[in-house]
Amino acid sequence: MKRVLVILAVLIFLGIVLKACVRKDMPEDVSIDIKTPDLKEIVYPTDEKNVTINGIDYLQSQAPVGKFGGELVISTIGEGPKTFNPCNTKDATSSSMAGLMYDGLVTTNPRTGEVMPLLAKDIEINSNDYIIRLRHGIKWTDNKPITADDVMYTYNEIVFKGYGNPSTMDAMKVDGKLPELVKLDDFTVKFTTPRAFAPFLRQLSYPIVPKHYFKPYSDRGESVFNAFLTPDTNPEEIVSSGAFKLKEYVAAQRVVFERNPNYYKINLKDEKLPYLNKLVYLIVGDTNNEILKFEAKEIDALSLRGSNVAMYKIKEPNSDYVIYNLGPDTGTLFLVINLNNRRDKNCKPYVDPKKQRWFGNRDFRAAVDWAIDRESMVKNIASGVAEPLFTAESLNSIYLNKYIKGHPYDINVTKESLEKAGFKLKDGILYDSCGNRVEFDLYTNAGNLEREALGVMIKQDLEELGMKVNFKPVEFNSLVNKLTNTHDWDMAIMGLTGSPLEPHDGKNVWTSSGSLHMFNQRPANYNIDDRLDWEKELDEIFAEGAVKLNFEERKPIYDRYQTIIYNQKPIIYLYSPIRITAIRKKIKNIFPTSLSGLLYNLDEIYIDGGEK
Amino acid sequence: MLKYITKRILQVIPLLIIVSLISFFIIRLSPVDPLAELRLNPSISQETLDKEIKRLNLDKPIYIQYISWAKSFIKGDLGYTSAGEKVSVKLKERIPNTLLLTAIVIFMTWIVGIPLGILAAINKETAFDRMLTVISSIGMAIPSFFFAILLLIFAVKTGWFPVGGLTSYNFNEMSLIGKIIDISKHLVLPVIVLFTISLSGLQRQMRANMLEVLDSDYIKFARAKGLSESKVIFKHALRNAINPMITLLGFEFAGLLSGAALTEYVFQYPGLGRLILEAVMKSDINLVMASLMMGTIMLVLGNLIADILLMIADPRIRGAK
Amino acid sequence: MREMLTKILQDKFAKIAFITLVLLYTIILFANFIAPYSNTYSNRDMSYAPPSKIYTIDENGKLTRPYTYNYVREYEPSLMQTVFKQDRTKKYYIKLFTNGHLFGTEKSGQLYLLGTDINGRDVFSRLLYGGRISMTVGFLALLVVFPIGLLYGGISGYFGGIVDTLMMRFAEAVMAIPSFYLLIILAAILPGGMTSVQRFALIVVILALIGWAGFARVVRGMVLSIKNEDFVLAEKTIGASNLRIILKHILPQTTSYVIIAMTLSVPSYILAESGLSFLGLGIQQPDASWGNMLKEAQEFTNILYRPWLLTPGLLIFIAVLSFNLLGDTIRDILDPKSQKRI
Repeated sequence: MKRVLVILAVLIFLGIVLKACVRKDMPEDVSIDIKTPDLKEIVYPTDEKNVTINGIDYLQSQAPVGKFGGELVISTIGEGPKTFNPCNTKDATSSSMAGLMYDGLVTTNPRTGEVMPLLAKDIEINSNDYIIRLRHGIKWTDNKPITADDVMYTYNEIVFKGYGNPSTMDAMKVDGKLPELVKLDDFTVKFTTPRAFAPFLRQLSYPIVPKHYFKPYSDRGESVFNAFLTPDTNPEEIVSSGAFKLKEYVAAQRVVFERNPNYYKINLKDEKLPYLNKLVYLIVGDTNNEILKFEAKEIDALSLRGSNVAMYKIKEPNSDYVIYNLGPDTGTLFLVINLNNRRDKNCKPYVDPKKQRWFGNRDFRAAVDWAIDRESMVKNIASGVAEPLFTAESLNSIYLNKYIKGHPYDINVTKESLEKAGFKLKDGILYDSCGNRVEFDLYTNAGNLEREALGVMIKQDLEELGMKVNFKPVEFNSLVNKLTNTHDWDMAIMGLTGSPLEPHDGKNVWTSSGSLHMFNQRPANYNIDDRLDWEKELDEIFAEGAVKLNFEERKPIYDRYQTIIYNQKPIIYLYSPIRITAIRKKIKNIFPTSLSGLLYNLDEIYIDGGEK
Repeated sequence: MLKYITKRILQVIPLLIIVSLISFFIIRLSPVDPLAELRLNPSISQETLDKEIKRLNLDKPIYIQYISWAKSFIKGDLGYTSAGEKVSVKLKERIPNTLLLTAIVIFMTWIVGIPLGILAAINKETAFDRMLTVISSIGMAIPSFFFAILLLIFAVKTGWFPVGGLTSYNFNEMSLIGKIIDISKHLVLPVIVLFTISLSGLQRQMRANMLEVLDSDYIKFARAKGLSESKVIFKHALRNAINPMITLLGFEFAGLLSGAALTEYVFQYPGLGRLILEAVMKSDINLVMASLMMGTIMLVLGNLIADILLMIADPRIRGAK
Repeated sequence: MREMLTKILQDKFAKIAFITLVLLYTIILFANFIAPYSNTYSNRDMSYAPPSKIYTIDENGKLTRPYTYNYVREYEPSLMQTVFKQDRTKKYYIKLFTNGHLFGTEKSGQLYLLGTDINGRDVFSRLLYGGRISMTVGFLALLVVFPIGLLYGGISGYFGGIVDTLMMRFAEAVMAIPSFYLLIILAAILPGGMTSVQRFALIVVILALIGWAGFARVVRGMVLSIKNEDFVLAEKTIGASNLRIILKHILPQTTSYVIIAMTLSVPSYILAESGLSFLGLGIQQPDASWGNMLKEAQEFTNILYRPWLLTPGLLIFIAVLSFNLLGDTIRDILDPKSQKRI
């Protein structure tokens, strides 16, 4: 009996093996004939208007009238908010959530990128004076009126004192001086900057906080203030002004907001917005988990990257979601080369002197640039959902220099440049003019699939030229330490978030004394002027760009900086992923824009048939 | 007995000191920069960075950092995370969740593992015994994170279980029964993963203990006395075989705390394991130190409780001490 | 040794496990020869290509030598999708012993038994090269753990008293730190500027640093009971040095335990390496290990649409399972009543 069973098992096994081995050659049909609608272009009717009803200055949304009620569940990647104190946010999640709860005087028009009034009713600019008139009759969530005192308090006692996150204070300083602020009446204030300063207006988007709620804490000093409004604060006691107020925070799981009945925005029927009853952010650890949650219908929107796009695109016609193409991403992905030629405290050079000669040579950098196969990167690593990038400004920046067209992958140009720089190829190995073998390290942060794959490709591309590249993925925080503190690296693949509206935000990267001037980082309080010629020019550009006020004047200045970077190539840009977002069909009033994405108008979004 | 407990608690102090020294110095000697995220943010100025460095004491020599940490730890002040949240608050949020998960897993492994161990010992070297060994080995052989991911996909495909987390977003509006059902639904998958990992160890241990006891003279004597086999096993053998298992409880707890990290991470479970994992990756020293201390204290407490249980269960030990 | 082997082969499960392991080690030993591609091979036009289809019956229904077609990659802009189509103009026959490899096709042909990864590298070949790291990391770590653990435990147990107390408190402290976190902290410390060999070596050392304490404690326990036996006391009276007694007379008595511990702890090192790689702290690209290959399979799309990327997980599973089954049997053979929890 047992024997029979064994024989039977062997026979079955052999059968399976044979079945696997014997395969008939039949032409396969892999063509896909699903017709999907084109990516939609939906245009927002016209900009919001100010409307005064019964002495209250409302802001009227021009979006189609929707239904009240329902809840929207979206996700935030990472560990969730660290604080709800809008003045003390240092990470994107905290600031976007605090931003929901507290409005600034102005905001950015999500379509055009221009500055438009929000909590302010209007703004009058006379050279260096900014007269701001507040809305009459609008209230905090505890029904106390929002007045000029709150604005005075926010700026005088928080921003100008550098409480919380002082970056706004830094950004408002002109030649080290802060603007002056005076109260003209209960609903009018006036800022005066020491001289014309373009980035100032955008800084007025700083959230205005309720004096009566914040003052008791700020009076007790900075450390008390910074620890105020941590996520575990009782939501009932929080006083805020934004479209949504906090309802519940559950650590590492979710943040729930509910509509603020006191909000000052109304729809075309003069009904108070927002439409949504509840807005839920689920805190998810990584994109993979986010996808699973979307699949399981636990969340309503999902941003897609790489090959996931195709997967969702194919299923789109029979699904309950729509896919929007938001164009290139704001972030940039690049290869940075270390031009540092300084020595550390022990007089040891940060970078090996022979490498300094290579990296300091523009032709060498150009050779690297031309040897990088961006086309394949886009195809393989981003699954085609990206665009090659050559400029320091991201592709959706309003300051993008459109004259920089980039160049294809061309190994001949590379070889010419290397020859010009005195490098010689012998038996497939590249030597410099002194006979040193060209060998260096390439770093990136470990655990990031995309960057590791990029590193492998760049290594291959450069090794084609006879260089030896030691590709070393290291832990993220260690890499940053190398870039900003110890300077002992050769090349690195990194990414930064850009600001498509204000190139001046990149000053820490581009000015020679900036704290993120990675490619030639100087120590803090460094007072020797060893700037390269083009570094000097960049310094001048950023100083000049800041004081010019209108776009037309500033554009050529910032065009110039992109040209310099493109020519000098201290940072070689790789590609820009295209942002694709899927969102459930039941969610209406979606007006996707390349600048702001999909869910910027949470107060106008409503759910059709979604109420329970 | 009271004296014994006091002695044991006093013994914990040097242990804590060594643990804190080891972990503190290893973390601080690493080139990991706790401010990396801030540094990479183009809009954060040098002044902000300097302020943060001051606040986190990063500008002082490492031994001074340790002393100042130790001082405040003794005072019961766990300090702030690098993001400025209170460490004590963060721990308080997470510890109950972890305790819930580990308690369920330990309970499940015991209730399944002990009987299986006994059965395997009684049927030593039969096909049943071998099958049990193989099955439990299979459970042990899958990388936990991988198993967790596969289960998540299973959850998505079937829609039977929620994808990660501990509670649904509308948890607060549920009735009490609804809440219990909601939490249990979320717990099923992580419990399955941790249960599979820790079951086989317990089962094998119980089997070995039982075999040894069954081989001992007094069992032989009991059998010789003509007691029925079930009486021999349940009345005499079981009690003695279980005693050494109690000592394992403490270690099992520590093991789960560490083994749960990746599982919690994949399931987005709001537990201590995931918190430590994230803190370690960012070199968030106060958070790591506090959680490691908590882990150590829990381990020691677990052992202590196990010892006391043992003393109550086994009078011979009481006499020996 | 031979006796043990016979005993192992008598047990059905242990036999299968043993043969599997021997097979695995043979394959990775000859990886260079068996793998159809070298460990630096990559075809960047073939990122995420599915496994090559091998045909043995041609389109006319006739039995032939096995052959395959190449893939061509096409991009559909409207769907933003990359599609692999077979280029049916040319058949590539599979040959044995070509180009210095066991099997392969002509130079221009593609033979991806298990498809390719994101960089267009052959997954099957990388599995073999990766196995070299994953399957040896455990043994190498043991080579570090055992001398330390034996000596530490031996000294502590032999001398007893205050030395014992101090040494054991230290070992307990190391044990009290949850091992996985210690592993992460240590792995994060690894300096960036290392070659892959150095990194591999250091990961071995780190794995060892975590394992020694528990091992030392058990050795100490055994030494405590051995040291009062007559032969040790006899050695002492004839004036043998302490170190000599520990090394020559006491530690050899622990051999059986050492063997059990070795086979039973190898799988935990394999799993630890995969866990580290999952977090990006293990063996780094472009080197392959089963752990870092599996990292790529974590993405939802990859699991659903590119199941060939899951094969490293399967191999980890097979290897760990085999080690466990083998270890169980060895333990039963050497020490049927073993009480120690390893």
